[in-house]
Amino acid sequence: MANTAATAGAGGSGSKQDSTPEDNYYLAWRRRLQVVVSSLLTEAGFESAQKASVETLTEMLQSYLLEIGRSAKSYCEHTARTQPTLSDIVVTLVEMGFNVETLPAYAMRSQRMVITAPPVTSGPVTPKALTARQKKSHPPHVPSHFPEFPDPHTYIKTPMYHEPLSDYQVLREKAASQRRDVERALTRFMAKTGKTQSLFKDDVSTFPLIAARPFTIPYLTALLPSELEMQQMEETDSLEQDEQTDTEILPLHINMDESSAEKENASVLQQNASLSGSQTGEENLIDNPYLRPVKKPKICGEVN
Amino acid sequence: MNRKKGDKGFEIANLNRIKLNSKQCRIYRVRVNDLEAAFIYNDPTLEVCHHESKQRNLNYFSNAYAAAVSAVDPDAGNGELCIKVPSELWKHVDELKVLKVHINFSLDQPKGGLHFVVPNVEGSMAERGAHVFSCGYQNSTRFWFPCVDSYSELCTWKLEYTVDAAMVAVSNGDLVETIYTHDMRKKTFHYMLTIPTAASNISLAIGPFEILVDPYMHEVTHFCLPQLLPLLKHTTSYLHEVFEFYEEILTCRYPYSCFKTVFIDEAYVEVAAYASMSIFSTNLLHSAMIIDETPLTRRCLAQSLAQQFFGCFISRMSWSDEWELDQIVAYELKTGGVLLHPIFGGGKEKDNPASHLHFSIKHPHTLSWEYYTMFQCKAHLVMRLIENRISMEFMLQVFNKLLSLASTASSQKFQSHMWSQMLVSTSGFLKSISNVSGKDIQPLIKQWVDQSGVVKFYGSFAFNRKRNVLELEIKQDYTSPGTQKYVGPLKVTVQELDGSFNHTLQIEENSLKHDIPCHSKSRRNKKKKIPLMNGEEVDMDLSAMDADSPLLWIRIDPDMSVLRKVEFEQSDFMWQYQLRYERDVVAQEESILALEKFPTPASRLALTDILEQEQCFYRVRMLACFCLAKIANSMVSTWTGPPAMKSLFTRMFCCKTCPNIVKTNNFMSFQSYFLQKTMPVAMALLRDVHNLCPKEVLTFILDLIKYNDNRKNKFSDNYYRAEMIDALANSVTPAVSVNNEVRTLDNLNPDVRLILEEITRFLNMEKLLPSYRHTITVSCLRAIRVLQKNGHVPSDPALFKSYAEYGHFVDIRIAALEAVVDYTKVDRSYEELQWLLTMIQNDPVPYVRHKILNMLTRNPPFTKNMDSPLCNEALVDQLWKLMNSGTSHDWRLRCGAVDLYFTLFGLSRPSCLPLPELGLVLNLKEKKAVLNPTIIPEAVFSNSQEEEEVDMDTVHDSQAFIYHHLNMLERPSTPGTMSVHHAKGWCVI
Repeated sequence: MANTAATAGAGGSGSKQDSTPEDNYYLAWRRRLQVVVSSLLTEAGFESAQKASVETLTEMLQSYLLEIGRSAKSYCEHTARTQPTLSDIVVTLVEMGFNVETLPAYAMRSQRMVITAPPVTSGPVTPKALTARQKKSHPPHVPSHFPEFPDPHTYIKTPMYHEPLSDYQVLREKAASQRRDVERALTRFMAKTGKTQSLFKDDVSTFPLIAARPFTIPYLTALLPSELEMQQMEETDSLEQDEQTDTEILPLHINMDESSAEKENASVLQQNASLSGSQTGEENLIDNPYLRPVKKPKICGEVN
Repeated sequence: MNRKKGDKGFEIANLNRIKLNSKQCRIYRVRVNDLEAAFIYNDPTLEVCHHESKQRNLNYFSNAYAAAVSAVDPDAGNGELCIKVPSELWKHVDELKVLKVHINFSLDQPKGGLHFVVPNVEGSMAERGAHVFSCGYQNSTRFWFPCVDSYSELCTWKLEYTVDAAMVAVSNGDLVETIYTHDMRKKTFHYMLTIPTAASNISLAIGPFEILVDPYMHEVTHFCLPQLLPLLKHTTSYLHEVFEFYEEILTCRYPYSCFKTVFIDEAYVEVAAYASMSIFSTNLLHSAMIIDETPLTRRCLAQSLAQQFFGCFISRMSWSDEWELDQIVAYELKTGGVLLHPIFGGGKEKDNPASHLHFSIKHPHTLSWEYYTMFQCKAHLVMRLIENRISMEFMLQVFNKLLSLASTASSQKFQSHMWSQMLVSTSGFLKSISNVSGKDIQPLIKQWVDQSGVVKFYGSFAFNRKRNVLELEIKQDYTSPGTQKYVGPLKVTVQELDGSFNHTLQIEENSLKHDIPCHSKSRRNKKKKIPLMNGEEVDMDLSAMDADSPLLWIRIDPDMSVLRKVEFEQSDFMWQYQLRYERDVVAQEESILALEKFPTPASRLALTDILEQEQCFYRVRMLACFCLAKIANSMVSTWTGPPAMKSLFTRMFCCKTCPNIVKTNNFMSFQSYFLQKTMPVAMALLRDVHNLCPKEVLTFILDLIKYNDNRKNKFSDNYYRAEMIDALANSVTPAVSVNNEVRTLDNLNPDVRLILEEITRFLNMEKLLPSYRHTITVSCLRAIRVLQKNGHVPSDPALFKSYAEYGHFVDIRIAALEAVVDYTKVDRSYEELQWLLTMIQNDPVPYVRHKILNMLTRNPPFTKNMDSPLCNEALVDQLWKLMNSGTSHDWRLRCGAVDLYFTLFGLSRPSCLPLPELGLVLNLKEKKAVLNPTIIPEAVFSNSQEEEEVDMDTVHDSQAFIYHHLNMLERPSTPGTMSVHHAKGWCVI
């Protein structure tokens, strides 16, 4: 039973959109489960049940069976087998908190109802896997019970027949046309999905211009470099820094500049002090009136 | 809520009226020394011609406008606001005591003077980046508070601005402190300006600015709008060098204790300098990747700093002294080396059109903008002449003297009569020049400042072999308009085989011929290096020259010590020698222009050599590209080899292995960058025998675009790509049209199809990855207009109109508007003209309005002598209304409207108008409409000299008068959302 559940589960998730025999199979399986639920209910003494509750119970049963199947399959694979054995199922049931000891007694109970075996229906047709070339047969040292080799395309190396492109002209050509194609496709897409303007009244598709859209703050897009450019700038900068590490002249120069600038500042600060009379004269601190904290109003207030 | 305060002492005897300038302000009450004072408010410039319906004569308007401006001219002691000093205080006046004038006023949604930028997005005002700044042309402070709006009235200032807590108010002088208001939601900025400053140099900028303290000079603070801080850092990073340079060259400290630069959007002008602060257009900001904008921005920054010394600190005495300040500023720029090489081409020395002006030149506010720019240009040239005359050393001494006198004066806190040292006048300037240098430059001033016009020389020569003498003939043209006669010395430089020799000729009334002895005999075989003017000695291939003559080339007035235009005739080989071997940039440019007339293989070779010469100034090389294209077109039938410049370009910028592919961009060398940009543009001007652009050239340009690869470049290639589109546009030739068929896609020329393909792709990519300042969009729009004009694409302004809308970047708008203006002219579209005129009246950006008028004037839909369906009475009325009353809030705009009216209709009554009514008498002899003498006695201006008699006691009447005028400003009632929208203030004078 668990076995069928497992295959059914796998099939159910795998090929939903397949044709009617598949659907029939699942309908039959589902109906069978409902019969089981109903008989169990009758066994338990119910005379009737609402459809909704039967459905719920069916669902629960199905989940339970599926879980048994899935779990059993895991156990069997864990021990490097392809077919579950009884012990796998026992372990599964134990794992799920089911007392296996009670199972024989339950199976042998007197008042159990016997359900007729379902009519033989054709199982779901597994679609034929794409086969590329012949599957390799086992080499002599591999026992025959081992699984078959997978399709050759999954492991066979395909040798490259083309040398990677290194010709400058071709590369440039490729890069240029690739970029152009991308740009063209992208702009055409944008033009198709949005409003467009056209240069010719009778034709809107040959030269579609994306419609002009005013910005709320036009200067931002116009002035700020794009992210791409920013990235580029950083890259080229870092490249340059690498180049410049050899030369010691530059940093030295900067130092000189800074010291002279500081001197200048000092003199200016002094002048400021003499002018406003409120200068503290700390050289290392930038004193700029716009950086000073905003004062709290005086209690009495200033009257104008 | 803004409060402005000024302290000022009047020391005029018999003072019973105080006149102040004020526009747009709503004045509630005026108190003099705490006594209520009567006042009257009358602004004659609001509506220039009153009570007249059909007078449409520009002469009449200009006179009326000039009179209206003089009637409120602060330099003449006039003003819009007239306050009567209460009689109780007359005694005070006689005792020369100080009067304090308090004015309560508010300014509600001003149309000029203060400009509000409020982006229409979600969020608080600060989050939206809303800001306001003061702006205007010349002295325009009266637009936002009552003052004596003159550059010559100095006083010290205390300024207070209360703004939203998220905003920063930047103004003149030192920020003393910032204090929160009691509810802690606003803060008050207290500014103190202790250096006497004219009201016209007071400014204000409020916004949610990001603050950057200059890392080199902590007293310099830079402000920009949110998100732009990285750009600001880069843009201002070199300003300290300019500071150092100016201080060193002037041997004078920077006059103010601080300096602030504010970058704002929708700027009125690119640079506006005010006392200790400058307001810049935010569009000057750029990142380190931008090449082309950098020198322009640096120039603007340097200019604003120069204006701090001259213009803000030292202010002018009167309008007629303006030339000096402009000159000094321009002069400093030149010496500053910021402007790489000022080019004084002959054409630039065009002068102020002397006669037949349609506006008064007595006031800055009545001047045409065109005139004003030319004025500045000439000022620069004249200052250069003075420098040439007295030497640069003396010139700097003069500047230093002016500055040191001024700074001594400015420190005299309580002696305002000393402050006159801070003003400069023409005579004062001349006096200090003669004191310092001991030279009399009066003749120079007389010739170049008092007179207008430029000297025109025509020169030719013959070499007399027998006498070994150069016979030079110099003629002058002083009869055509814009010229004047010159008598005096003229320098001529003759480059001979043995060297370069200067000769000074005396240009006199009747002498045309001048004999100049030559120093070298003609020689052929002696192989010797030829010495040049700068001492350099070079080898020359002398095979091209005339065997009998030792002359290589001749230059007239090489130092440009005369404002002149020279047309000199010499043989083509002499021009070629001059181009190759003369080291003077101006001489090289002259020879390039002259070589256009000599399409020979030798000229071609000389130009190609220059193109390849790395030492040559890049602008000369760029010019040579265009000249080469012209020569190639002239000799199209005999031209051999690939199209001009193609092999050169391939050699310089293409890969060695595959010559059809351009190298990946590397703009580290700016010279070659500019050349790489320019060459394709010039090449696209080449034409084959059918007058079409050769297919080879078009493919070449398309390939350049295709293989353009900027991934490894340190700099942005947006200007380069924009120029490539310009090149494509240049290659377009008029479409061959059969029977005026309608342009459709099917009959599109295949070359044009390729061009359109590129333009479409570029324009669309701009939407996704915009370039700096949208240079590519601008070029695309221009190119589309070129295609339309040449009949490849149906002419249609709809596209341009959508790009001209408010909300696009200003460069795009201007380019689009230019196309619409052009369309209006070509298609004579009344609808588009109306659309443009509506925009002139309603656009939120003053610069754009000014620019539309400017472009319409330059490219008018029709002119005065032309019959056009557009010229009708309604248009005359519309324009008349625009300049008469519609532009009273902006001097520049009004002058622009006057210019346009003049271009369209001329000085006299427009011909499309019906015969005037009885009020006019038509003088058929003079073809002039004059006002019927019988109605003249009815005073033309309400605010004339008789104004003294106005009854000052009727305060209520005067207020009604103000309200009347305020209503006439037709303000749209947008809700004031920013706290500073409603400015209310007290003015203490």
